[in-house]
Amino acid sequence: MAAATPKVDLADLQGDILRAYGNDYDHTTYAFVKIECPPEQARAWFADLLDHVTTAEPWTKGKPLTTLNVSVTAPGLAALGVASEVIGTFSREFREGMSSRATLLGDIGPSAPSSWERGLGTGDAHVLLTINAQERVDHRRALGKMRTAMDGFGGLRIVYQEDTALLEGSREHFGYADGFAQPAIEGSGDDKARGGGVPLAKGGWRPLAPGEFVLGYPDEDTRVDPKRRLPNAPAAPLGKSGTYMVWRKLYQDVAAWRRVMRDAATLYKDGDEEKLAAKVVGRWPDGSPLVTHPEKPDPKFDASKSAANDFRYYDADRDGKRCPLGSHIRRSNPRDALGFEGHLSFRHRMIRRGMPYGDELPAGSMKDDGVDRGLVFVCFQASISRQFEGVQVQWLNTGNLFALGHDTDFILGDPNGKGKMTIQGDPPFFLSPQEVFVKTRGGEYLFVPGMTALSAIADGIA
Amino acid sequence: MSDPNRNGQAYGFQAMTPIQPGMEDDLRAHLEGMHAEGSPFAKLARTHMARFVIVPDFYNDRSWGQKEEHLDLQYLIFTSNLDGDIDSYLDELCDVVAPDAQEIWGRCVGCPADASGTALKKYLKHNQIDCGFFYAAYGDATVGKVQAALAQREKVIAFASRTQGLDPAELQQAFVAEFGGK
Repeated sequence: MAAATPKVDLADLQGDILRAYGNDYDHTTYAFVKIECPPEQARAWFADLLDHVTTAEPWTKGKPLTTLNVSVTAPGLAALGVASEVIGTFSREFREGMSSRATLLGDIGPSAPSSWERGLGTGDAHVLLTINAQERVDHRRALGKMRTAMDGFGGLRIVYQEDTALLEGSREHFGYADGFAQPAIEGSGDDKARGGGVPLAKGGWRPLAPGEFVLGYPDEDTRVDPKRRLPNAPAAPLGKSGTYMVWRKLYQDVAAWRRVMRDAATLYKDGDEEKLAAKVVGRWPDGSPLVTHPEKPDPKFDASKSAANDFRYYDADRDGKRCPLGSHIRRSNPRDALGFEGHLSFRHRMIRRGMPYGDELPAGSMKDDGVDRGLVFVCFQASISRQFEGVQVQWLNTGNLFALGHDTDFILGDPNGKGKMTIQGDPPFFLSPQEVFVKTRGGEYLFVPGMTALSAIADGIA
Repeated sequence: MSDPNRNGQAYGFQAMTPIQPGMEDDLRAHLEGMHAEGSPFAKLARTHMARFVIVPDFYNDRSWGQKEEHLDLQYLIFTSNLDGDIDSYLDELCDVVAPDAQEIWGRCVGCPADASGTALKKYLKHNQIDCGFFYAAYGDATVGKVQAALAQREKVIAFASRTQGLDPAELQQAFVAEFGGK
C-alpha cells in the first residue's frame, strides 16, 4: 500500500511550474544572461535577484503585476562557482546541454545548432531570467529594472532575449488552442486528474506523483514501493524542490503549413481542409478532441473545464480512424493507446509552459512574409532524458512504436522533405509532402533550483 | 533436447568475458566510438541485432535487506541474434570484425594475444552462456527476407501515396506498370 505522498513545499518551489500563472500574464520575456565576471560578483547579483523571485505559494493578496523566475544551465552553475563535483551530480543530458544532443533530438539540417540564434547552444547562456507581466507597461518596467540591476553589478551580459506575447484565444501560430492539456499532479492543488493523470483499469484517472516533476519527492516508482529510492537529484541542497527545464525556440512556417493543407485537401475524400488539418493535430482548432468529436468541433467544448481532456484511445479508437495513430497529440501523449492501461506512457509526461512569439501571419495568406514567428517551447520534468527526450525521440521523431514505420510527427516536419503521414480510414489517406513546418532556432537545458538551493548558490555554499 | 539458443532458424549467442583491470575506460570509449562510425557488425549480413553491455558491478539495495556484494572484475556481455548456424557465423565474425575485436575482447581476461581467427572463436565459444530463454521477434525470417519485406512495404506505400485520386482504370494501369501482372 502506497504511503501518503508528502505535500510539495510550495514556498521552496519556484512559481509557474506546478501551477501556471495563467493567461492574465500575456507578456513573457526570456533573457539569457552570460556571466563574464568572477563568481563572487555574479553571486552578489544572484543574491540580489532572490528577493524578487516568485515562488509557488498561493497568491493571497491578488496577482502580482510581474513575476520573476530563475534557471541555470550547467555552464551557468560553473560560472556561479558551484563546485565541479557538485555539478557532476546533475543529470548527464543537462551537463551535456541541448546542442550536444542535437542529432538525437532530430535537430539536424535547417534545425542544426550551427544555424541557431547567436547566444544559444554555445555555452554562453548561463542564467535564464523569465519575466511575466499582465500589462505591457509593467513588463517594460520590470525589464528596465532587470537591466539596471545587471549594469550595477557589471560583468553580466544578455546574450539572447526573446519577448513573447499570447495570441488571441491562447492559440499557437498554426491556429490551434494550446497548452491546456497538462499532467495532473498529486498535491499540487490543481489535480485535473480526468485525462491528465494515469488512466485506471476500472475507469477514471489518478494524478501523477509529484516527484515526476519536482525533485526531492516520491515519483511513480517510489509511490508504488516507498522502499525504493527517490528519483536521482543533484546533491543537497541543490536538488530539493528543483526541476529540470527545457527551453526551445521553434520557428513555425505558417505559410508552408497552410499551402500543404490546402493542396492536400483537394485529394482528401473524407472531408475538407479543416478536417484534414485536425487529423494532423488530433484536435479541432478550438481544442476539442477528434477522438470524441471526429466529424466536427464540439460547440460546447471548454478547455478550462476539467472534463475537457477526459478521453482515452484504446477502447474508443484503437485503429486510429477517429484520431490518427500518428496525430500530434496522440504521439505526444498516447495515454492508453499503447495498451497495458497506459503503463507505457505515464512516466513520460511533462509540464508545458510555452509561449508564442512573433506577429501572426494575416489570415488566409499563403505567402511567407519573412517575419520570425513560432513557439517558445518550455517544459519541466524530473528527468529530461526520460520525459522530454523520450517523447521527442521515441514518439515524435519515429513511427515504430505506433506501427507507423518511417512516419514522423507531421507538424514538426521532415528536414528531408520526403515524409508523409498516414491517416487511417477506408481507404487510408497519405498526406504529403511533409515540408519543414517547424525549425529549431535554439535551445538550452536548464535547472530551476528551489528557493533554498538558490540561496545556497548565492551564498557560495553549493 | 532442443537447443536453448535457437528459435526457428535464428540463433541467440551470448558470451560474458571479464575485463582486464584498468582497461574498462578504454573499452567503453571504443564501444561508444563504434556507434558513431557505423557498427562493424553491419558487415555481417546475418546479424539481426548485436549488442555490447558492460556490467560494472552488482547493485545491492540495502534498504531491501540485501547483503552488499561486489564483482571482482567488470564484465563485458556480447549478444547477437543471427541467422543460421553459430559456427560459420563466428568464423565470419572473427574474420570481418577482427580490427575491432582486438580493441574489444583484446582488453578482456584470457583473450588470445591475436584476437582473430580460430583462436578468437575458441575464446568466444569458451565464454558462451546458453540462453535462458531466447525470444526472436521473427525467428523464421532471415535478415535478407526482412529487408526484402521492408523494401516491398516501402514500394507499396510510395505507390499508394502517389496514386491517390486516380480513377479505377488509371489506378489499375499504374499498378500493372509498377508491380507487373497480366
